[in-house]
Amino acid sequence: MQDKKNGCDGCGDGLGLTRRTFLKHLTTVSAVVASGAVIGLILPEGAAGAVDSTYDWTRHRWVYLIDTRACIGCGSCARACRAENDVPEGNYRTWIERYRMNAEGEAHVDSPQGGEFGFERIKAGGDVRKAFFVPKLCNHCAATPCTQVCPVGASYTTRDGVVLVDKEHCIGCGYCVQACPYGSRFINEETHTADKCTWCYHRLTNGRKTACVDICPVGARIIGDRENPDDPINEIIATQRIHVLQPELLTKPQCYYSGLDMEVR
Amino acid sequence: MRQDSPLWHAKHVVRAFLLLIIAVIALVLLRSLLVPDSWGQFGWYRGDNIAEQRAKEQRHGGNISCLECHDQEYETIAGAGHANVKCEGCHAPVALHAVDGEWVKEMPVRREAELCLNCHQWLDARPRAFPQVRPREHVEEQGGEFGPAVCFDCHDPHAPL
Repeated sequence: MQDKKNGCDGCGDGLGLTRRTFLKHLTTVSAVVASGAVIGLILPEGAAGAVDSTYDWTRHRWVYLIDTRACIGCGSCARACRAENDVPEGNYRTWIERYRMNAEGEAHVDSPQGGEFGFERIKAGGDVRKAFFVPKLCNHCAATPCTQVCPVGASYTTRDGVVLVDKEHCIGCGYCVQACPYGSRFINEETHTADKCTWCYHRLTNGRKTACVDICPVGARIIGDRENPDDPINEIIATQRIHVLQPELLTKPQCYYSGLDMEVR
Repeated sequence: MRQDSPLWHAKHVVRAFLLLIIAVIALVLLRSLLVPDSWGQFGWYRGDNIAEQRAKEQRHGGNISCLECHDQEYETIAGAGHANVKCEGCHAPVALHAVDGEWVKEMPVRREAELCLNCHQWLDARPRAFPQVRPREHVEEQGGEFGPAVCFDCHDPHAPL
């Protein structure tokens, strides 16, 4: 038997720490951290960009509308989104799916590279009787499961109805990626955090529309404000037949679709 | 302290109480260090993130952002079949080319049939009313020979047809 220091076998082994020295070190470390925090409070915050200071998020509620009958599947939206938001290769904040149904009602669905570079003329198998494109993005659900599962409060819904991820706070656990029934989230390999469509929050709250809406050459994508009675989106929602993806999940998607087929999930 | 004082026998209680106080102070201190300042400002998240999200750079400026230097192209597009097609859709976001009127980088000009076919290749999923071509047949009908930039022999992308 070796002699036992402090009457405890293995205590402080490796670092050679006794309880007393450990507590001493802890005090030093806390003091250093505390002084760091004080310095952090004194230093001024970083300069903000050109932000519209008059924007009041309690007076807006954004909703999105996609007309699948207008979409031509050119992929402009997906390319604009990547350029606007630095979306890494292989990930998509928005993408386009092509649906083709034959006479038997069997669906052939494809989305090569998210439809970012358009679609090629390839056989769907069988006689195509019905075919269309469906652009997809985060549905910014009013009852979203993704923010509920976040263990650290890094994902949240803004008062104007946009679901966002705080990448400074996100720990990259991926719970939200699994919680989203629409596959709208991914882990960004560059930041190692959850990433998703923000409805271009930096544009929307500063007087612009999202990059995908602005770039669409056929007006298949619209974003509008439910709180503004003059916004044309309210007339469309009030008078036309609209639908959401997977309403049975009760997530209350805020992306509406017109001309949606029941085959689309 | 005298050994017959009741507090002498309560020493273990005093120690436990002191430890509890230290633990509470440590918790409060750690919490104040670890929880971000703006936490809970609007909800169970970091309130400062709203401003951070809003301050991100806007890269697409729309056709109007091209007007100052490219007024001729701006007018041409606005008055022709591609009036709804955005400059940045075929070229690139304006921020990659010019910021605050300062030239940054050459704007890409893709004189490729592939660019046109992104929208105009005949596809069964496209709306029937949208102008589409079967490129090889279309070029051969016109007596030409299909090549990677053949579209531009007849069509001006700023004012097609």
